Amino acid sequence: MTKRSLKRGLTGFWWLTLFFLYLPLAVVVLFSFNSVNSSANFAGVSLRWYQRLLSNEQILSAFANSMVLAIVSSVIALGIGCLIGYGMYRHRHRKLGWLIVLIYLPIVLPDIVFGISEMAFFVQVHEATGWLQPGLATMIIAHVTFQIPFVALIIYSRFVGLDPTLFEAAKDLYASPLKRVRHFMLPTIKPALISAFFLSFTLSIDDFVISFFTSGPESATLPIYIWGAIKKGVSPEINAIASLMIGAVALAAVLSLIFNRRRPA
Amino acid sequence: MPGTSQHLMRRRAVVAETRHLLFSVGPGALWITLFLVLPSAYLMGVAFMTNGPYGLPQMPLTLDAFERLAGFGFLGWSPGNLYTLLRSLWQTLLSTTLVVIVAYPIAYYITTCRERWRPIMLLAVVVPSWTNQVIRTFGWMNLLAPGTPLSELAEGLGLIPPNMGLYPSNFAVTLGLVYNFLPFMVLPLYAAFEKLDGAQVEAAQDLYASPVRAFRHAVFPQTLPGLLAGIVLVAIPAFGMYVIPELLGGGKGMMLGNLVAMQFSGGSNWPLGAAGAILMLIATFIGLFAMRRIGKRLGGGEEVVI
Repeated sequence: MTKRSLKRGLTGFWWLTLFFLYLPLAVVVLFSFNSVNSSANFAGVSLRWYQRLLSNEQILSAFANSMVLAIVSSVIALGIGCLIGYGMYRHRHRKLGWLIVLIYLPIVLPDIVFGISEMAFFVQVHEATGWLQPGLATMIIAHVTFQIPFVALIIYSRFVGLDPTLFEAAKDLYASPLKRVRHFMLPTIKPALISAFFLSFTLSIDDFVISFFTSGPESATLPIYIWGAIKKGVSPEINAIASLMIGAVALAAVLSLIFNRRRPA
Repeated sequence: MPGTSQHLMRRRAVVAETRHLLFSVGPGALWITLFLVLPSAYLMGVAFMTNGPYGLPQMPLTLDAFERLAGFGFLGWSPGNLYTLLRSLWQTLLSTTLVVIVAYPIAYYITTCRERWRPIMLLAVVVPSWTNQVIRTFGWMNLLAPGTPLSELAEGLGLIPPNMGLYPSNFAVTLGLVYNFLPFMVLPLYAAFEKLDGAQVEAAQDLYASPVRAFRHAVFPQTLPGLLAGIVLVAIPAFGMYVIPELLGGGKGMMLGNLVAMQFSGGSNWPLGAAGAILMLIATFIGLFAMRRIGKRLGGGEEVVI
């Protein structure tokens, strides 16, 4: 086998794999414009499923739930995660093995085990005390739990990348710790804060399993709504809402590309 | 006395540092302990309790749940649960192997392309996994349902009985798993290929090594850390997968995750579900531990972060 034919074969394999990766998404988008209710025949282009979306109360409230959940949980996780990230950095010379285990636990735990243990726990706490009724609040708690480690690790690695003498300089410059935080800490970790927020937001939007098990009857998010619709029998409206979500991801991909291009690596 | 005051100052510093540690790390540590460690400890406890009415756990403590998991029920032994376990293992093994086979050439190909294209190519591989898992799986349902071109092609080739469609089936689950996890293998393998020392490969070629031997002795050992990291990222979540078998597998494609979830929805049998969850945890930690050991023995264990 010559080098050139190897390269040609690899190129072909690359495009085939890309086709494989985008085919299911393309099918969803294509059939969202189908004028008839079928996933096998494409009869003609129409926007009727998109029109039906706008008048579907359940989908609109699911969208609102997804947004509230993602934003609120990301903000809380950002606060708590930042503190851990900084604490890990400041005390990196101590033995913090227990903390590392604690931080990696939400990452390595299979999400079905994660979701179910929270559900079982919330149900029992609710039964005993009346608190933590399954709903948006329990979902926010669960999401914050899996977002904290990612925020903490991003913030920590940002601090590790800094010159340690900067901290001494800041101490000399600003007398009060509060001023140090405002004028030195926050500005220097700003890029890390932004990327941690977006990662938390994405993780929350992307999650299905943990949300599914910690949700209540009134707090369905978009993925949970879509899941229910699929289980009940496929309706073409799902194609439309799924296409909009795919569109949002495509937009995010283009934005990240532009953003990374503009900033020299 | 200067000695005492120094001693006092040092003690004060230690106290201040400890307080600092408590205030910075404390809230998060408390949060994870309260909302994850405690719940999973509770779940493990549930596995050793008796199944009560509505599937809720009750005292006394017993090993019933584990016996049920092994197939012993009121009506004697039945292999249903064991089949589910074996199917989970088999699907994990098969899909991980397939993912490795696809990801190796892809990761290598990206490193042979121009540098400015590489980030875009990586992004192209990763972007589909940014869409929600439920939607991606739904896409495959649309593609594999009876009457679709792919199903009719398979029928025409005599691979499946007429009018059955490719889904629900075990094949659809494997496909869904490979689709879902491919990016998780490509990324670490790409990172390994990018650091690859080309001189070793050239030396192998200069010494007339066959491509297979060159791969085995020059390429494979160098990409091993990436491969191990990829296997951890693919196999562990695949074993506990819930969404894909639920949507693409049907009754005969059930995996451990579905067995566990089923015990908690509709009030079936919490202790049995909890026992299944323990099994999943054990598998997870064995997997992590084994990868660490292998990684360390082969040198390059540092790369396997988890």
